Amino acid sequence: MGLESVFTPDALIAVFAITLRIAPTVLYASLGEVISERAGVVNLGLEGIMLLSAFTAFYFSYITGDPLTGLGMALLVGVAMGLLHAMLTVVLTLNQVVVGLSIWLFGFGFSDVLYRVLFRGVPSPTVKTLPELQIPVLSDLPVIGQVLFRHNVLVYIGFLLVPAVWLFLYRTRLGLLIRAAGENPKVVKAAGHSVPLIRTIAVLMGAVLASVSGAYFTTAFLRSYVTNITFGRGFIALAMVYFGNWSPVRLLVPLLIFNYVDSLQLMMQAADVGIRYYFLNMLPFIVLIAMMPVFGRNVKPPSALMKPFR
Amino acid sequence: MNATAAAIGLGLGFSLVLLTGADPFVAINTLLVYPVSDPYNAAEVLIWFTALLIIAQGIALGIRANLWNVGAEGQFLIGSIMTLWTYKQLANHLPAPLVVVAMIAAGIAGGAAWALVPGVIRARYGGNEIVVTLLLNLVAVSVLWWALDGPIRGRLSAGYPLSDVIAPDYRLPILLPGTRLNAGLFFALAVALIYYLLAERTHFGYSVKAVGSNPYAAVVAGIRVQRVIVLTMLIAGAAAGLAGALHVMGVLYRIDAGYAETGFGYLAIAVAMLGGAHPIGVVFSSAFFSFIMIGSQAMQRAIQVPFPIVYAVVGIMLISLTAVQRTYRRTV
Repeated sequence: MGLESVFTPDALIAVFAITLRIAPTVLYASLGEVISERAGVVNLGLEGIMLLSAFTAFYFSYITGDPLTGLGMALLVGVAMGLLHAMLTVVLTLNQVVVGLSIWLFGFGFSDVLYRVLFRGVPSPTVKTLPELQIPVLSDLPVIGQVLFRHNVLVYIGFLLVPAVWLFLYRTRLGLLIRAAGENPKVVKAAGHSVPLIRTIAVLMGAVLASVSGAYFTTAFLRSYVTNITFGRGFIALAMVYFGNWSPVRLLVPLLIFNYVDSLQLMMQAADVGIRYYFLNMLPFIVLIAMMPVFGRNVKPPSALMKPFR
Repeated sequence: MNATAAAIGLGLGFSLVLLTGADPFVAINTLLVYPVSDPYNAAEVLIWFTALLIIAQGIALGIRANLWNVGAEGQFLIGSIMTLWTYKQLANHLPAPLVVVAMIAAGIAGGAAWALVPGVIRARYGGNEIVVTLLLNLVAVSVLWWALDGPIRGRLSAGYPLSDVIAPDYRLPILLPGTRLNAGLFFALAVALIYYLLAERTHFGYSVKAVGSNPYAAVVAGIRVQRVIVLTMLIAGAAAGLAGALHVMGVLYRIDAGYAETGFGYLAIAVAMLGGAHPIGVVFSSAFFSFIMIGSQAMQRAIQVPFPIVYAVVGIMLISLTAVQRTYRRTV
């Protein structure tokens, strides 16, 4: 088959639908990281948290047969890793890069060890995934129904979180304190608030949202587990925060571009268009790097980003 | 002090090993005795030492400039590919010594080129080098698959993607017969010396430190920060590429798709951090890590402790290290 098989109306509709379906793998983690970085703390361990969550969700989903239980346990992993990251970077004020990279290496190794030990001797284990919700009436609409209204619940929640996080950051008192802690922590302290407490809350939210992105791989997207299952999505979430200029709304544009290219190349691989798989595999990453000069112009990070507050 | 952290990390890491259900005495014995139990195993330790030392020195220089090159893995792969490609192009056309030099040079150039992109993006657009270098690692894996399917595909590879085997004339000489220990070790020691001189005894080394500690002050002091950033990345990439060239020419002689899983580039980040990003500290941490790696591989074979446990232990060790350093009021 040639390239034209991917550019039929049906195939293009499918690509848009897949774009939305894979979006949560990056969306939750990016939104969480916006909150965390707005408070002044970078979490380079996102990838590690996501890997641990993906495995945890897979494991509990496998033994209980219920993907929601898996998701719930993954959220607990997010809480634990968030508390760990906050304790190390906010309370002990250790170097955020070192802590983040360490948590990544830890999650990378430990998730794989757990899989190999807990599933020793189990031939190709699989789990059930969250069902598609067919939204009544809307899902029957031509084209739009297929693209927008036939997804699992986490897709809808993810996109609803975009305005929710915006409202939280810009229209609530805690959101204001979080932004202030990332711009000028001294003022926050002078006003009688605890900067470490505010930053801990933000880091915790970031880690929990990252765990949803991780768990999405094994509760809604894939039925089996592989080593390094998140394949760099945690780092892509970090890139999205930067491209989106630390705004939960602006990051949607680069995020959808990335996921669109990714689903297009997945579609091309499935349709066997005559382009070798390795060229297609690298395409989304190259597009992302090429976007740097475009989206990277005029971005301005929070003033106190990565600066420990003692 | 770093030894304290290493000990804490190892202790915590070891409790992880026990979680997998391994016999603790066998595990300790395997981890600590196996790597020195015979010349072959000791040579394997030195092979890891060669690769880790060269790569980690480059990463350490970056850390001094507050540049985190997480992309050594990709730079290492591209360097190795370029070396094999050069071999395929030149072998039997030019005198062997000349080809060997060209192969090493190609490895260095490949690694440097792969590091140039994140260096320029960071210097010109302030784009985060951690994210860009990591993305380029993912791209490098695809490049490896492509190279094995085309540019460096071996004549005898049949259906399996495999490169040509480097002929004996073009390999690095073996130092100890019966082992894989080769002349790459001398390169590693030379690189360590060069890094020491570069980082501690030159104006460039001073500029790197200045950029790392306070870029604004560096600008005031007349240092061209962007140039230092790009050069530091280039040097780090060149080192990782050199390590790739040496590993192919001295140890493996041919590569397949599994070559993407050596993990040298990722572990070298930890080596650089544990070594305090200092040229001499990195020598010791490279030796320490090489020993642990060979011990861990043996543990996997002997008592089925999965090898990736190494990454988990390393993560714990690094956190212990920074925590210990904080209590002593020092920074990485």
